[in-house]
Amino acid sequence: MSTAATDLYYDPYDFEIDADPYPVWKRMRDEQPLYYNEKHDFYAVSRWDDVEAGLKNHAQLISSHGTILELIKANIEMPPGMVIFDDPPSHTAYRGLMSRVFTPRKMNAIEPEIRRYCQVELDALDGASEFDIVEVLAAKMPMRVIGMLLGIPEQDQQAIRDQTDHGLHLDSADSYSAAFQDFGGAANEGSFGEYLDWRMDNPSDDVMTQLVQAEFEDHTGVTRRLTREEVLGYVNLLAGAGNETTTKLIGHAVRTLAECPDQRRDLRANPDLIPNAVEETLRFEAPSPIQSRYVNEDIVVHGQTVPEGSAIVLVNAAANHDERKWGPNAEEYDIRRKMDHHLSFGYGLHFCLGAALARLEGRVALDEIIQRFPDWSIDYDRSERSHTSTVRGWDKLTVVLD
Amino acid sequence: MRVVVDLNRCEANGLCMGVAPEVFDLTDDDELILLQEHPDESEREHVEEAVRQCPRQAISIEEDA
Repeated sequence: MSTAATDLYYDPYDFEIDADPYPVWKRMRDEQPLYYNEKHDFYAVSRWDDVEAGLKNHAQLISSHGTILELIKANIEMPPGMVIFDDPPSHTAYRGLMSRVFTPRKMNAIEPEIRRYCQVELDALDGASEFDIVEVLAAKMPMRVIGMLLGIPEQDQQAIRDQTDHGLHLDSADSYSAAFQDFGGAANEGSFGEYLDWRMDNPSDDVMTQLVQAEFEDHTGVTRRLTREEVLGYVNLLAGAGNETTTKLIGHAVRTLAECPDQRRDLRANPDLIPNAVEETLRFEAPSPIQSRYVNEDIVVHGQTVPEGSAIVLVNAAANHDERKWGPNAEEYDIRRKMDHHLSFGYGLHFCLGAALARLEGRVALDEIIQRFPDWSIDYDRSERSHTSTVRGWDKLTVVLD
Repeated sequence: MRVVVDLNRCEANGLCMGVAPEVFDLTDDDELILLQEHPDESEREHVEEAVRQCPRQAISIEEDA
C-alpha cells in the first residue's frame, strides 16, 4: 500500500494536472488526506471535513502571510487594506467597512443593470453561429458591474482588468515569483491612483467614495478614515476579485452544460432551477479551487504534525467532490442536486465578500444564454484554459451553436 | 438555549432567516434581528442548521445553565 501512495503527486503549478485535477484530488482524499509536496514544500488537505475545519481555523491557519502559495513562500509584507491577506483584529476592522455593501438584498437591486449588460452583449452577436463566450460576455459583464459599483469610468475598465489578469498569470509552471511582483505592484498604485485622487474631490454614490469617506475604529482603537494606500489596496482587491472569478464561473457553466445536453434542456424548460445550477457549477468546478494558509503554530492532522511556519493548501475544490460528504455521485454534475453549502466561496471569516454578486451575475448570465440558445457545443481546439495557481477556468471558450 | 449572534461577523447573507424564520430576520437595512433570544426547544434543529449554514460563522448556541 505504501509504495502505491508514493507516486501520488499534486502540484498546483502543473498545467497538465490543472487541466483535470479531480483524479489526483480523489487519490489525495483516499490515500493521503494529509499530503506533503516536497518540491514546493507545502502540505495539503482535500477531504470535506478537513478543508472546512481548516477554513474555520483562522487562529492557527492565518492569512496575513498571503493566501496564494507563492505569496506565502515569498515571505513579504502584504499591502494594507487587502482584507483577504489579513487576520483579526485588523481584518475585522477593515472588513467591517464593506460588510453591508454586497449583501444579497443590495445586489439583487442591481439585477436590472446586470441583465441589460448581458442582453446588449448577447444581442450584439446578431445571429453569429459561433463565438468566444469569455470575450463576448463572461469577461466583459463582471468587469462592467464591478466598475459600475466602484465608480470606474467604462473606458478605464479594460486596462484595469488586463492588469489583474497579468498579475495572476503564470507564463510557465515555475515563474510564479515573477508573477507576484506584478500583483504586489498593482496593489500599491495600480490603475486607480489617479482616479482615486479625483474621486476624493468629487464624491459620488459609489463604493470608492464610501471607502474614502467611511470612519471606522481601527484595530488599535483609533477612529479614523482609511489612508490613500488602504483605499487603493481595498479597491484593487475588489476590482480583481470581482472580475476574474466570476468570468471563470460563467465559463464553467457554459462548458459543463455543453457536455450535459439533457440537463441543459431541463434547465431551459425549468428556469427556476437556474440558481441551483449556479450552485452546482460552483461546487463542481470551483473558480478558486485552492486556498493557502500559513501555519501559525504546530497542528496535528490525521496523526501527523504540521509544523509552525509551514504552508498548507486547503483544496476546497477537492472537498466539493468528496464522496464522504456528497455521496457516490459526488463527481457528477447534477443541476438538481440538493445541497446546503459548498466551499467554493470559502467559509467563516474570509467567506467571499462578493458571493451574492457572483451568484447574481452567474444566474442572470445563464438565464440570458439559455433563453437564447437551446443547444451548443464547445470547440476545444479553439479554446484555452487559463494558467494560474489561484483561478481555474477558461480564458477562451469557443461556443458553437447547433 | 440562548442564541448568540456576533454582529461584527454578520454580513446579512440571510441563510439563517431561510432555515429558521421564527428566530432570525433581517431589516430593510440588512441588520439582523434576533426574534427570539431563547427559542423553544422545538426550534433547536432549525437553529443548529442556521449555525452550520452561516457562511460567516456568526451564530452560536449557549446552553442554559
